[in-house]
Amino acid sequence: MNELEQLTVTSDSIEIKEQMIEQLMYEYSEGILYLVFTYVKNRATAEDLTQEIFIKCYEKLDQFNQNASIKTWLYRIASNHCKDYLRSWHYRKITLNEKVWDFIPSKSKRVEDEVIAKDRDINLSNAVMALPIKYREVVFLHYYEELSLADISKVTTININTIKTRLKRAKELLKDKMIKEV
Amino acid sequence: MSDSLVNLKRAMNKTVFNEFTFSDERKKAVKEKIREKHSLHHLNSWEEKTIKTVLESIQREPKHGYDISTFLFQKQEKSFQSNEGELYTLLHLLENKEIITSKWIQEKKYYSLTTKGKKYLATYEIGSSERFNTLKNITEEGSI
Repeated sequence: MNELEQLTVTSDSIEIKEQMIEQLMYEYSEGILYLVFTYVKNRATAEDLTQEIFIKCYEKLDQFNQNASIKTWLYRIASNHCKDYLRSWHYRKITLNEKVWDFIPSKSKRVEDEVIAKDRDINLSNAVMALPIKYREVVFLHYYEELSLADISKVTTININTIKTRLKRAKELLKDKMIKEV
Repeated sequence: MSDSLVNLKRAMNKTVFNEFTFSDERKKAVKEKIREKHSLHHLNSWEEKTIKTVLESIQREPKHGYDISTFLFQKQEKSFQSNEGELYTLLHLLENKEIITSKWIQEKKYYSLTTKGKKYLATYEIGSSERFNTLKNITEEGSI
């Protein structure tokens, strides 16, 4: 992490940029993939978008301000890319049918004699994934990625007070949801 | 409720993210795409292999520009094929960095490796992380 941040990325050298991207993929590809999935709720789409995000990152490497955290910078690109995708015509034309399935918690994974803890994990994940996007993204960044409010603000360009409000509201929504399911 | 959110990472890892990774094939696809892109506009940037071959060309004896260019051609180094002037830009840069030095003999400029240059060339053979830093220092200057 530290090592990555110390690297100078203003260089024109293709070779170096390539190695940078390789390092970034090594370090953050899973985190990015999960963030993207949180937005788009589809594994194949998440993989495609993650691929595009790293290519975008390569193109923007010269713009990276070395005083900033590379993780925050990368997550911001990812977040913007996902939001662009969700607004795109391509996404909107996906049939309603497919979208509806995304919102129904998957029961298929449930095996009858699962331990209660596992059941609770499924409930929690599904409840979070069923939240509206504006809550889902902050919940993921705060509770999964454990980013500070300041960093979440940098990633999403939402101001800190709004983030606080959304986290609070998200917790209320989750509480309702979890009570109903129990 | 806030208690269970503390477990969100574990919960999601065991469920929605279970066996979900960014595969090596995907990473490879990213790298290939990047390569495609840079071949379109690679002015002012040199590949590691190119720098290495240039340094190798004068490893045993001093050579002038045309000889270096012939050596590169023999080694199938095609970076300068359509723009030979760039070779001199690189040589100039390497000279500024005191990686190579030059001497005028009979109206021709002969280039040879400095001690520093020999060290640089040696680092190409060793671990990639060290080479990374070395190379970074060389090429950074070229980006001006």
